Amino acid sequence: MLKKEEPQDPSVAFRYPRVITYKHSLGYQSKFAHALKMGRIIATKCPVDGRCTIPPRIVCPMHHVKQTEWVDQGQRGKLLSAFKINFPMFDSRTGDLKSWETPIVSIELEGGARMDGWCSETDTEKLKPGMVLEAVWRPAEERQGRVDDILYWKPV
Amino acid sequence: MNGERIAIVGVGQTVHKSKRTDINTAELCAEAVEAALADAQMTMKDIDCVILGSFEPADGYSGPDKWIVPEIGAVGKAGFEMQNVGTTGGVVAATGFNMAASGLFQNVLCVAWQKMDEAAGAFGRGGGGANEYWTGQFPMSPITNFARRTYDYMTRSGCTEEHLAMVRVKQDQCAQRNKNAQLKLGLTVEKVMNDFLLAWPIRRLHMCPTTAGSAAIVVCPEKRAKKVTKKPVWVEDWFTCHQGGALTMAEDPQASTLGYACRKIYKRCGITNPKKEINAWEVYEPASTAELRWMEEVGVAEDYKAWKLFEQGKVGIEKEIPFNPSGGVTATNPIGATPVVRVVEASLQIRGDAEEHQVPGTINRALATAYGGQGENVVFLLKKTL
Repeated sequence: MLKKEEPQDPSVAFRYPRVITYKHSLGYQSKFAHALKMGRIIATKCPVDGRCTIPPRIVCPMHHVKQTEWVDQGQRGKLLSAFKINFPMFDSRTGDLKSWETPIVSIELEGGARMDGWCSETDTEKLKPGMVLEAVWRPAEERQGRVDDILYWKPV
Repeated sequence: MNGERIAIVGVGQTVHKSKRTDINTAELCAEAVEAALADAQMTMKDIDCVILGSFEPADGYSGPDKWIVPEIGAVGKAGFEMQNVGTTGGVVAATGFNMAASGLFQNVLCVAWQKMDEAAGAFGRGGGGANEYWTGQFPMSPITNFARRTYDYMTRSGCTEEHLAMVRVKQDQCAQRNKNAQLKLGLTVEKVMNDFLLAWPIRRLHMCPTTAGSAAIVVCPEKRAKKVTKKPVWVEDWFTCHQGGALTMAEDPQASTLGYACRKIYKRCGITNPKKEINAWEVYEPASTAELRWMEEVGVAEDYKAWKLFEQGKVGIEKEIPFNPSGGVTATNPIGATPVVRVVEASLQIRGDAEEHQVPGTINRALATAYGGQGENVVFLLKKTL
Protein backbone atom coordinates (compact mmCIF):
# COMPACT_ATOMS: atom_id res chain seq x y z
CA MET A 1 0.00 0.00 0.00
CA LEU A 2 1.30 3.41 -0.90
CA LYS A 3 2.11 5.75 1.92
CA LYS A 4 0.43 9.14 1.75
CA GLU A 5 3.60 11.16 1.91
CA GLU A 6 4.46 14.31 0.00
CA PRO A 7 7.85 13.98 -1.73
CA GLN A 8 10.46 16.43 -0.46
CA ASP A 9 11.53 17.48 -3.94
CA PRO A 10 9.03 16.44 -6.60
CA SER A 11 11.34 17.28 -9.52
CA VAL A 12 13.11 14.76 -11.75
CA ALA A 13 16.38 15.74 -13.39
CA PHE A 14 17.31 15.01 -17.01
CA ARG A 15 20.59 15.76 -18.76
CA TYR A 16 21.04 15.99 -22.52
CA PRO A 17 24.66 14.92 -23.11
CA ARG A 18 24.95 14.99 -26.88
CA VAL A 19 27.09 16.67 -29.49
CA ILE A 20 25.41 18.01 -32.60
CA THR A 21 27.25 19.31 -35.63
CA TYR A 22 25.41 21.83 -37.75
CA LYS A 23 26.65 22.36 -41.29
CA HIS A 24 25.27 25.73 -42.31
CA SER A 25 25.55 26.81 -45.94
CA LEU A 26 26.77 30.37 -46.19
CA GLY A 27 25.35 31.08 -49.66
CA TYR A 28 26.46 34.43 -51.07
CA GLN A 29 28.19 35.18 -47.74
CA SER A 30 30.81 32.54 -48.64
CA LYS A 31 32.53 35.39 -50.51
CA PHE A 32 33.14 37.04 -47.14
CA ALA A 33 34.40 33.75 -45.68
CA HIS A 34 36.76 33.25 -48.62
CA ALA A 35 38.17 36.77 -48.15
CA LEU A 36 38.85 36.00 -44.48
CA LYS A 37 41.00 33.04 -45.55
CA MET A 38 42.97 35.53 -47.65
CA GLY A 39 43.35 37.87 -44.65
CA ARG A 40 40.90 40.42 -46.00
CA ILE A 41 37.67 41.85 -44.59
CA ILE A 42 35.04 42.74 -47.18
CA ALA A 43 31.52 44.10 -46.89
CA THR A 44 28.52 44.74 -49.10
CA LYS A 45 27.69 48.33 -49.98
CA CYS A 46 24.26 49.93 -50.33
CA PRO A 47 23.88 51.69 -53.70
CA VAL A 48 21.55 54.28 -52.12
CA ASP A 49 23.52 55.67 -49.19
CA GLY A 50 26.88 53.91 -49.59
CA ARG A 51 26.64 52.22 -46.17
CA CYS A 52 28.79 49.09 -45.89
CA THR A 53 27.49 46.20 -43.80
CA ILE A 54 28.93 43.19 -42.02
CA PRO A 55 27.33 40.67 -42.06
CA PRO A 56 27.16 41.25 -45.81
CA ARG A 57 23.58 41.41 -47.00
CA ILE A 58 22.19 40.64 -50.42
CA VAL A 59 19.58 43.36 -49.91
CA CYS A 60 20.01 46.61 -47.96
CA PRO A 61 17.76 46.24 -44.88
CA MET A 62 16.99 49.94 -44.87
CA HIS A 63 16.49 50.77 -48.56
CA HIS A 64 15.33 47.37 -49.81
CA VAL A 65 17.61 47.42 -52.86
CA LYS A 66 19.99 44.74 -54.09
CA GLN A 67 23.61 45.13 -52.94
CA THR A 68 26.04 43.80 -55.51
CA GLU A 69 29.16 45.82 -54.71
CA TRP A 70 31.72 44.42 -52.26
CA VAL A 71 34.19 46.83 -50.63
CA ASP A 72 37.51 46.06 -48.91
CA GLN A 73 37.29 47.35 -45.34
CA GLY A 74 41.02 47.61 -44.60
CA GLN A 75 42.86 46.22 -41.59
CA ARG A 76 42.21 48.99 -39.10
CA GLY A 77 39.22 50.54 -37.41
CA LYS A 78 38.16 52.89 -34.67
CA LEU A 79 36.92 51.60 -31.33
CA LEU A 80 33.23 52.11 -30.63
CA SER A 81 32.90 50.25 -27.34
CA ALA A 82 34.65 47.72 -25.13
CA PHE A 83 33.51 45.62 -22.22
CA LYS A 84 34.73 42.67 -20.20
CA ILE A 85 32.65 39.82 -18.81
CA ASN A 86 33.31 39.30 -15.11
CA PHE A 87 31.62 35.95 -14.58
CA PRO A 88 31.76 32.50 -16.20
CA MET A 89 29.70 32.14 -19.36
CA PHE A 90 29.28 29.29 -21.82
CA ASP A 91 31.68 29.00 -24.72
CA SER A 92 29.41 27.94 -27.56
CA ARG A 93 32.37 26.39 -29.39
CA THR A 94 33.09 23.93 -26.58
CA GLY A 95 29.94 23.91 -24.46
CA ASP A 96 32.01 24.64 -21.36
CA LEU A 97 31.52 27.32 -18.76
CA LYS A 98 34.65 29.45 -18.78
CA SER A 99 36.06 32.76 -17.63
CA TRP A 100 36.66 35.43 -20.23
CA GLU A 101 39.73 37.59 -19.67
CA THR A 102 39.80 39.59 -22.89
CA PRO A 103 37.38 42.44 -23.64
CA ILE A 104 34.85 42.28 -26.47
CA VAL A 105 35.16 45.34 -28.71
CA SER A 106 33.02 46.89 -31.43
CA ILE A 107 34.97 48.47 -34.26
CA GLU A 108 34.11 50.75 -37.15
CA LEU A 109 36.43 49.71 -39.97
CA GLU A 110 38.19 52.05 -42.38
CA GLY A 111 35.61 51.09 -45.02
CA GLY A 112 32.73 52.05 -42.71
CA ALA A 113 31.36 48.59 -41.84
CA ARG A 114 31.26 47.52 -38.20
CA MET A 115 32.19 44.28 -36.52
CA ASP A 116 32.80 42.73 -33.12
CA GLY A 117 36.06 41.19 -31.97
CA TRP A 118 38.37 40.42 -29.07
CA CYS A 119 41.00 42.93 -27.90
CA SER A 120 44.61 42.33 -26.81
CA GLU A 121 44.44 45.16 -24.29
CA THR A 122 42.82 43.65 -21.19
CA ASP A 123 42.69 46.88 -19.19
CA THR A 124 39.38 48.39 -20.33
CA GLU A 125 40.36 51.72 -18.72
CA LYS A 126 42.87 52.11 -21.53
CA LEU A 127 40.30 51.45 -24.23
CA LYS A 128 38.73 54.74 -25.24
CA PRO A 129 36.10 55.24 -27.95
CA GLY A 130 37.74 56.52 -31.14
CA MET A 131 41.16 54.90 -30.64
CA VAL A 132 42.56 52.97 -33.61
CA LEU A 133 42.83 49.18 -33.51
CA GLU A 134 44.41 46.80 -35.99
CA ALA A 135 43.45 43.21 -36.88
CA VAL A 136 45.78 40.37 -35.83
CA TRP A 137 45.15 37.23 -37.90
CA ARG A 138 45.64 33.52 -37.41
CA PRO A 139 48.47 32.14 -39.56
CA ALA A 140 47.14 31.69 -43.14
CA GLU A 141 47.27 27.88 -42.97
CA GLU A 142 45.01 27.84 -39.87
CA ARG A 143 42.27 30.08 -41.25
CA GLN A 144 38.86 28.48 -41.83
CA GLY A 145 36.89 31.38 -43.26
CA ARG A 146 35.34 32.08 -39.86
CA VAL A 147 35.09 35.46 -38.13
CA ASP A 148 37.53 34.20 -35.50
CA ASP A 149 40.24 33.93 -38.18
CA ILE A 150 40.89 37.40 -36.75
CA LEU A 151 42.43 36.40 -33.44
CA TYR A 152 42.06 39.83 -31.84
CA TRP A 153 42.42 43.55 -32.37
CA LYS A 154 45.40 45.44 -30.96
CA PRO A 155 45.73 49.15 -30.26
CA VAL A 156 47.95 50.89 -32.84
CA MET B 1 -7.23 49.13 -38.31
CA ASN B 2 -9.52 46.85 -40.23
CA GLY B 3 -11.43 44.06 -38.54
CA GLU B 4 -13.62 43.90 -35.43
CA ARG B 5 -12.96 46.18 -32.48
CA ILE B 6 -11.81 44.02 -29.59
CA ALA B 7 -11.51 44.19 -25.82
CA ILE B 8 -9.73 42.35 -23.04
CA VAL B 9 -12.45 41.01 -20.76
CA GLY B 10 -10.40 38.93 -18.35
CA VAL B 11 -6.84 38.88 -17.05
CA GLY B 12 -4.93 36.55 -14.76
CA GLN B 13 -1.40 35.90 -13.58
CA THR B 14 0.40 33.79 -11.03
CA VAL B 15 2.34 35.11 -8.10
CA HIS B 16 5.79 35.16 -9.68
CA LYS B 17 8.56 33.35 -7.84
CA SER B 18 12.11 32.19 -8.48
CA LYS B 19 11.02 28.57 -7.89
CA ARG B 20 7.77 26.64 -8.10
CA THR B 21 8.92 23.09 -7.43
CA ASP B 22 5.50 22.35 -5.93
CA ILE B 23 3.82 22.21 -9.36
CA ASN B 24 4.58 21.29 -12.97
CA THR B 25 4.52 23.61 -15.98
CA ALA B 26 0.93 22.80 -16.97
CA GLU B 27 -0.27 23.45 -13.43
CA LEU B 28 1.53 26.78 -13.51
CA CYS B 29 -0.37 27.69 -16.70
CA ALA B 30 -3.61 26.48 -15.18
CA GLU B 31 -3.22 28.95 -12.29
CA ALA B 32 -3.13 31.89 -14.71
CA VAL B 33 -5.88 30.44 -16.94
CA GLU B 34 -8.22 29.88 -14.01
CA ALA B 35 -7.59 33.43 -12.80
CA ALA B 36 -8.26 34.93 -16.26
CA LEU B 37 -11.42 32.86 -16.79
CA ALA B 38 -12.72 33.77 -13.33
CA ASP B 39 -11.99 37.44 -14.04
CA ALA B 40 -13.94 37.15 -17.32
CA GLN B 41 -16.69 35.19 -15.53
CA MET B 42 -16.28 32.40 -18.07
CA THR B 43 -15.38 28.74 -18.08
CA MET B 44 -13.25 26.88 -20.59
CA LYS B 45 -16.51 25.87 -22.32
CA ASP B 46 -16.94 29.49 -23.46
CA ILE B 47 -13.49 29.64 -25.06
CA ASP B 48 -13.37 28.89 -28.79
CA CYS B 49 -9.71 29.64 -29.51
CA VAL B 50 -6.53 29.15 -27.45
CA ILE B 51 -3.18 30.71 -28.35
CA LEU B 52 -0.33 29.71 -26.08
CA GLY B 53 3.43 29.77 -25.85
CA SER B 54 6.71 29.89 -23.95
CA PHE B 55 10.33 30.46 -24.94
CA GLU B 56 11.00 26.75 -25.41
CA PRO B 57 14.79 26.57 -24.77
CA ALA B 58 14.34 28.13 -21.33
CA ASP B 59 11.82 25.42 -20.37
CA GLY B 60 13.32 22.32 -21.95
CA TYR B 61 10.10 21.20 -23.63
CA SER B 62 9.62 21.07 -27.38
CA GLY B 63 6.06 21.68 -28.57
CA PRO B 64 4.75 21.93 -25.00
CA ASP B 65 1.19 22.54 -26.19
CA LYS B 66 0.98 18.79 -26.79
CA TRP B 67 0.75 18.14 -23.09
CA ILE B 68 -0.31 21.51 -21.71
CA VAL B 69 -3.51 21.86 -23.80
CA PRO B 70 -5.12 18.76 -22.24
CA GLU B 71 -3.97 19.78 -18.78
CA ILE B 72 -5.77 23.14 -19.01
CA GLY B 73 -8.90 21.51 -20.43
CA ALA B 74 -8.58 22.97 -23.91
CA VAL B 75 -8.60 19.86 -26.10
CA GLY B 76 -10.56 20.42 -29.31
CA LYS B 77 -10.28 24.21 -29.23
CA ALA B 78 -8.95 26.04 -32.27
CA GLY B 79 -5.48 27.53 -31.86
CA PHE B 80 -1.77 26.86 -31.84
CA GLU B 81 1.51 27.51 -30.05
CA MET B 82 3.72 30.56 -30.65
CA GLN B 83 7.44 30.89 -29.93
CA ASN B 84 9.56 33.99 -30.56
CA VAL B 85 12.34 34.43 -28.00
CA GLY B 86 11.62 37.22 -25.48
CA THR B 87 8.66 38.49 -27.45
CA THR B 88 6.89 35.12 -27.22
CA GLY B 89 4.15 36.50 -24.97
CA GLY B 90 3.91 39.48 -27.31
CA VAL B 91 3.20 37.35 -30.33
CA VAL B 92 0.87 35.15 -28.26
CA ALA B 93 -1.22 38.23 -27.36
CA ALA B 94 -0.95 39.82 -30.82
CA THR B 95 -2.06 36.57 -32.48
CA GLY B 96 -4.95 36.23 -30.04
CA PHE B 97 -5.97 39.80 -30.84
CA ASN B 98 -5.79 39.02 -34.56
CA MET B 99 -8.00 35.96 -34.02
CA ALA B 100 -10.64 38.00 -32.16
CA ALA B 101 -10.41 40.92 -34.62
CA SER B 102 -10.89 38.53 -37.54
CA GLY B 103 -14.42 37.88 -36.37
CA LEU B 104 -13.85 34.14 -36.59
CA PHE B 105 -13.77 33.65 -32.81
CA GLN B 106 -15.81 35.08 -29.95
CA ASN B 107 -13.74 34.23 -26.87
CA VAL B 108 -10.00 33.93 -27.36
CA LEU B 109 -7.75 32.78 -24.54
CA CYS B 110 -4.07 33.75 -24.67
CA VAL B 111 -1.73 32.06 -22.21
CA ALA B 112 2.04 32.26 -21.87
CA TRP B 113 4.42 30.92 -19.26
CA GLN B 114 8.00 30.21 -18.28
CA LYS B 115 9.27 27.94 -15.57
CA MET B 116 12.90 28.91 -15.42
CA ASP B 117 13.59 27.04 -12.20
CA GLU B 118 13.61 23.84 -14.28
CA ALA B 119 16.48 24.73 -16.60
CA ALA B 120 19.09 26.63 -14.61
CA GLY B 121 21.71 28.05 -16.95
CA ALA B 122 19.75 27.27 -20.13
CA PHE B 123 19.39 30.96 -20.70
CA GLY B 124 21.34 34.02 -19.63
CA ARG B 125 24.78 32.47 -19.34
CA GLY B 126 25.57 32.66 -23.00
CA GLY B 127 25.66 30.67 -26.15
CA GLY B 128 26.02 31.33 -29.82
CA GLY B 129 23.26 33.89 -30.23
CA ALA B 130 21.04 34.23 -33.27
CA ASN B 131 23.47 32.93 -35.88
CA GLU B 132 26.46 30.75 -34.97
CA TYR B 133 28.64 31.93 -37.85
CA TRP B 134 28.34 35.62 -37.02
CA THR B 135 27.96 35.68 -33.26
CA GLY B 136 29.14 32.24 -32.10
CA GLN B 137 32.64 33.27 -31.03
CA PHE B 138 31.22 35.46 -28.28
CA PRO B 139 29.31 34.45 -25.17
CA MET B 140 26.10 36.16 -26.23
CA SER B 141 23.32 36.74 -23.70
CA PRO B 142 21.01 39.51 -22.54
CA ILE B 143 23.83 40.54 -20.21
CA THR B 144 26.35 41.17 -23.00
CA ASN B 145 23.60 42.71 -25.15
CA PHE B 146 22.69 45.25 -22.48
CA ALA B 147 26.29 45.87 -21.42
CA ARG B 148 26.93 47.03 -24.98
CA ARG B 149 23.71 49.02 -25.22
CA THR B 150 24.29 50.74 -21.90
CA TYR B 151 27.95 51.50 -22.68
CA ASP B 152 26.78 53.12 -25.92
CA TYR B 153 24.00 54.98 -24.13
CA MET B 154 26.38 56.39 -21.52
CA THR B 155 28.88 57.43 -24.19
CA ARG B 156 26.20 59.32 -26.11
CA SER B 157 24.20 60.77 -23.23
CA GLY B 158 26.47 61.72 -20.34
CA CYS B 159 24.47 59.48 -17.99
CA THR B 160 26.50 58.03 -15.08
CA GLU B 161 26.41 54.77 -13.10
CA GLU B 162 24.54 56.64 -10.38
CA HIS B 163 21.71 57.41 -12.78
CA LEU B 164 21.55 53.75 -13.78
CA ALA B 165 21.23 52.86 -10.10
CA MET B 166 18.41 55.42 -9.68
CA VAL B 167 16.44 53.58 -12.36
CA ARG B 168 16.84 50.25 -10.56
CA VAL B 169 15.81 51.78 -7.22
CA LYS B 170 12.66 53.24 -8.81
CA GLN B 171 11.78 49.83 -10.25
CA ASP B 172 12.24 48.21 -6.86
CA GLN B 173 10.08 50.82 -5.15
CA CYS B 174 7.28 49.98 -7.59
CA ALA B 175 7.76 46.22 -7.25
CA GLN B 176 7.48 46.44 -3.47
CA ARG B 177 3.88 47.58 -3.97
CA ASN B 178 3.00 44.77 -6.40
CA LYS B 179 1.73 41.64 -4.66
CA ASN B 180 2.66 39.46 -7.66
CA ALA B 181 6.21 40.77 -8.21
CA GLN B 182 9.14 38.44 -7.53
CA LEU B 183 12.00 40.67 -6.34
CA LYS B 184 11.25 43.19 -3.59
CA LEU B 185 14.65 44.11 -2.30
CA GLY B 186 14.53 47.49 -0.54
CA LEU B 187 17.31 48.85 -2.73
CA THR B 188 19.29 52.05 -2.40
CA VAL B 189 21.47 53.74 -5.03
CA GLU B 190 24.52 52.77 -2.97
CA LYS B 191 23.46 49.12 -2.78
CA VAL B 192 23.01 48.92 -6.55
CA MET B 193 26.31 50.66 -7.27
CA ASN B 194 28.19 48.23 -5.03
CA ASP B 195 26.53 45.11 -6.42
CA PHE B 196 28.49 42.43 -8.31
CA LEU B 197 29.66 43.65 -11.70
CA LEU B 198 28.65 41.25 -14.48
CA ALA B 199 29.95 43.21 -17.47
CA TRP B 200 30.47 46.92 -17.04
CA PRO B 201 28.24 48.85 -16.58
CA ILE B 202 25.77 46.02 -15.94
CA ARG B 203 25.62 44.82 -12.34
CA ARG B 204 23.66 41.77 -11.22
CA LEU B 205 20.81 43.91 -9.87
CA HIS B 206 20.41 45.60 -13.25
CA MET B 207 19.44 42.34 -14.96
CA CYS B 208 16.05 40.66 -14.94
CA PRO B 209 15.77 37.59 -12.68
CA THR B 210 14.85 34.03 -13.64
CA THR B 211 11.22 33.45 -12.82
CA ALA B 212 8.55 30.77 -12.70
CA GLY B 213 5.31 32.40 -13.71
CA SER B 214 2.39 32.50 -16.11
CA ALA B 215 -0.12 35.05 -17.37
CA ALA B 216 -3.35 34.82 -19.37
CA ILE B 217 -5.90 37.09 -20.99
CA VAL B 218 -9.35 36.60 -22.52
CA VAL B 219 -10.20 38.78 -25.50
CA CYS B 220 -13.50 39.21 -27.36
CA PRO B 221 -14.92 41.18 -30.28
CA GLU B 222 -16.89 44.32 -29.34
CA LYS B 223 -20.45 42.95 -29.14
CA ARG B 224 -19.45 39.97 -27.06
CA ALA B 225 -17.16 42.08 -24.84
CA LYS B 226 -19.99 44.45 -23.95
CA LYS B 227 -22.14 41.48 -22.89
CA VAL B 228 -19.40 39.83 -20.86
CA THR B 229 -18.05 42.66 -18.72
CA LYS B 230 -18.77 46.14 -17.43
CA LYS B 231 -15.06 46.94 -17.50
CA PRO B 232 -13.73 46.03 -20.95
CA VAL B 233 -10.22 47.19 -21.77
CA TRP B 234 -10.30 48.15 -25.42
CA VAL B 235 -7.36 47.18 -27.57
CA GLU B 236 -6.93 50.35 -29.59
CA ASP B 237 -4.02 49.14 -31.71
CA TRP B 238 -1.09 46.71 -31.78
CA PHE B 239 1.92 46.25 -33.97
CA THR B 240 4.44 43.44 -34.28
CA CYS B 241 7.74 44.44 -35.79
CA HIS B 242 10.54 42.17 -37.00
CA GLN B 243 13.97 43.13 -35.76
CA GLY B 244 15.79 43.37 -39.08
CA GLY B 245 18.60 45.75 -39.82
CA ALA B 246 21.23 44.45 -37.39
CA LEU B 247 22.57 41.06 -36.39
CA THR B 248 25.81 41.78 -34.54
CA MET B 249 25.95 44.29 -31.71
CA ALA B 250 28.59 46.31 -33.51
CA GLU B 251 26.32 46.83 -36.47
CA ASP B 252 23.92 48.86 -34.36
CA PRO B 253 24.34 48.84 -30.57
CA GLN B 254 20.97 50.57 -30.14
CA ALA B 255 19.15 48.29 -32.60
CA SER B 256 15.48 48.48 -31.76
CA THR B 257 12.13 48.61 -33.51
CA LEU B 258 10.33 50.10 -30.51
CA GLY B 259 10.45 53.70 -31.71
CA TYR B 260 9.38 52.68 -35.20
CA ALA B 261 6.47 50.58 -33.91
CA CYS B 262 5.30 53.37 -31.57
CA ARG B 263 5.43 56.03 -34.27
CA LYS B 264 3.41 53.74 -36.48
CA ILE B 265 0.57 53.17 -34.01
CA TYR B 266 0.61 56.74 -32.66
CA LYS B 267 0.02 57.96 -36.21
CA ARG B 268 -2.77 55.45 -36.76
CA CYS B 269 -4.44 56.48 -33.48
CA GLY B 270 -3.89 60.23 -33.87
CA ILE B 271 -1.56 60.49 -30.86
CA THR B 272 0.67 63.55 -31.16
CA ASN B 273 1.85 63.92 -27.54
CA PRO B 274 2.32 60.42 -26.06
CA LYS B 275 3.55 61.78 -22.73
CA LYS B 276 0.19 63.48 -22.18
CA GLU B 277 -2.11 61.15 -24.07
CA ILE B 278 -0.84 57.89 -22.55
CA ASN B 279 -1.29 57.69 -18.78
CA ALA B 280 0.55 54.48 -17.82
CA TRP B 281 3.40 52.47 -19.29
CA GLU B 282 4.36 48.82 -19.00
CA VAL B 283 7.44 48.53 -21.19
CA TYR B 284 9.54 45.33 -21.35
CA GLU B 285 13.01 46.26 -20.06
CA PRO B 286 15.24 43.16 -19.68
CA ALA B 287 17.82 45.34 -17.92
CA SER B 288 17.00 48.32 -15.73
CA THR B 289 19.32 50.43 -17.88
CA ALA B 290 17.16 49.76 -20.95
CA GLU B 291 14.34 51.73 -19.37
CA LEU B 292 16.16 54.96 -20.22
CA ARG B 293 16.39 54.36 -23.95
CA TRP B 294 12.93 52.79 -24.08
CA MET B 295 11.45 55.95 -22.46
CA GLU B 296 12.97 57.93 -25.29
CA GLU B 297 11.81 55.54 -27.99
CA VAL B 298 8.19 55.51 -26.78
CA GLY B 299 8.22 59.30 -26.71
CA VAL B 300 8.17 60.33 -23.04
CA ALA B 301 11.69 61.75 -23.09
CA GLU B 302 13.99 63.43 -25.59
CA ASP B 303 16.72 61.32 -27.16
CA TYR B 304 19.50 60.51 -24.65
CA LYS B 305 17.96 62.68 -21.92
CA ALA B 306 15.72 60.25 -20.02
CA TRP B 307 18.33 59.90 -17.23
CA LYS B 308 17.71 63.55 -16.30
CA LEU B 309 14.10 62.68 -15.43
CA PHE B 310 15.39 60.28 -12.77
CA GLU B 311 17.76 62.93 -11.45
CA GLN B 312 14.76 65.24 -11.16
CA GLY B 313 12.66 62.52 -9.46
CA LYS B 314 9.96 62.65 -12.13
CA VAL B 315 9.46 58.91 -12.66
CA GLY B 316 7.30 56.74 -10.39
CA ILE B 317 3.76 55.63 -9.60
CA GLU B 318 2.61 59.00 -8.25
CA LYS B 319 5.05 61.01 -10.37
CA GLU B 320 4.81 62.85 -13.67
CA ILE B 321 5.78 59.73 -15.62
CA PRO B 322 4.29 56.47 -14.29
CA PHE B 323 6.68 54.14 -16.09
CA ASN B 324 6.45 50.45 -15.19
CA PRO B 325 4.35 50.87 -12.04
CA SER B 326 4.34 47.07 -11.57
CA GLY B 327 8.10 47.13 -10.98
CA GLY B 328 8.74 45.87 -14.48
CA VAL B 329 10.89 43.10 -15.80
CA THR B 330 13.89 43.59 -13.52
CA ALA B 331 11.58 42.53 -10.69
CA THR B 332 9.76 39.72 -12.53
CA ASN B 333 10.73 37.87 -15.70
CA PRO B 334 9.06 34.63 -16.71
CA ILE B 335 10.48 35.30 -20.21
CA GLY B 336 7.83 33.83 -22.50
CA ALA B 337 5.06 35.19 -20.29
CA THR B 338 6.65 38.56 -19.55
CA PRO B 339 4.92 40.46 -22.40
CA VAL B 340 1.52 39.06 -21.37
CA VAL B 341 2.28 40.22 -17.82
CA ARG B 342 2.82 43.71 -19.33
CA VAL B 343 -0.61 43.55 -21.05
CA VAL B 344 -2.24 42.25 -17.86
CA GLU B 345 -0.66 45.04 -15.79
CA ALA B 346 -1.60 47.75 -18.32
CA SER B 347 -5.19 46.40 -18.32
CA LEU B 348 -5.35 46.50 -14.51
CA GLN B 349 -4.18 50.12 -14.59
CA ILE B 350 -6.96 51.07 -17.03
CA ARG B 351 -9.58 49.25 -14.96
CA GLY B 352 -8.29 50.86 -11.77
CA ASP B 353 -7.66 47.40 -10.34
CA ALA B 354 -3.91 47.55 -9.78
CA GLU B 355 -4.39 47.97 -6.01
CA GLU B 356 -1.23 49.13 -4.23
CA HIS B 357 0.60 50.03 -7.44
CA GLN B 358 -2.37 51.75 -9.11
CA VAL B 359 -1.39 54.99 -10.84
CA PRO B 360 -3.61 57.80 -9.43
CA GLY B 361 -6.29 59.41 -11.57
CA THR B 362 -8.13 58.03 -14.56
CA ILE B 363 -6.01 55.92 -16.87
CA ASN B 364 -7.54 56.46 -20.28
CA ARG B 365 -4.72 54.92 -22.23
CA ALA B 366 -1.84 52.59 -21.43
CA LEU B 367 1.00 51.22 -23.52
CA ALA B 368 2.43 47.72 -23.10
CA THR B 369 5.36 46.27 -25.03
CA ALA B 370 7.36 43.12 -25.63
CA TYR B 371 11.09 42.94 -26.34
CA GLY B 372 13.16 40.10 -27.71
CA GLY B 373 16.22 39.07 -29.65
CA GLN B 374 18.38 42.06 -30.28
CA GLY B 375 15.70 44.68 -30.76
CA GLU B 376 12.44 43.10 -31.79
CA ASN B 377 9.28 44.63 -30.37
CA VAL B 378 5.54 44.18 -30.08
CA VAL B 379 3.55 47.22 -28.99
CA PHE B 380 0.00 47.30 -27.59
CA LEU B 381 -2.11 50.39 -27.04
CA LEU B 382 -4.99 49.85 -24.60
CA LYS B 383 -7.87 52.21 -23.93
CA LYS B 384 -10.60 52.73 -21.32
CA THR B 385 -13.35 53.82 -23.73
CA LEU B 386 -13.95 53.39 -27.43
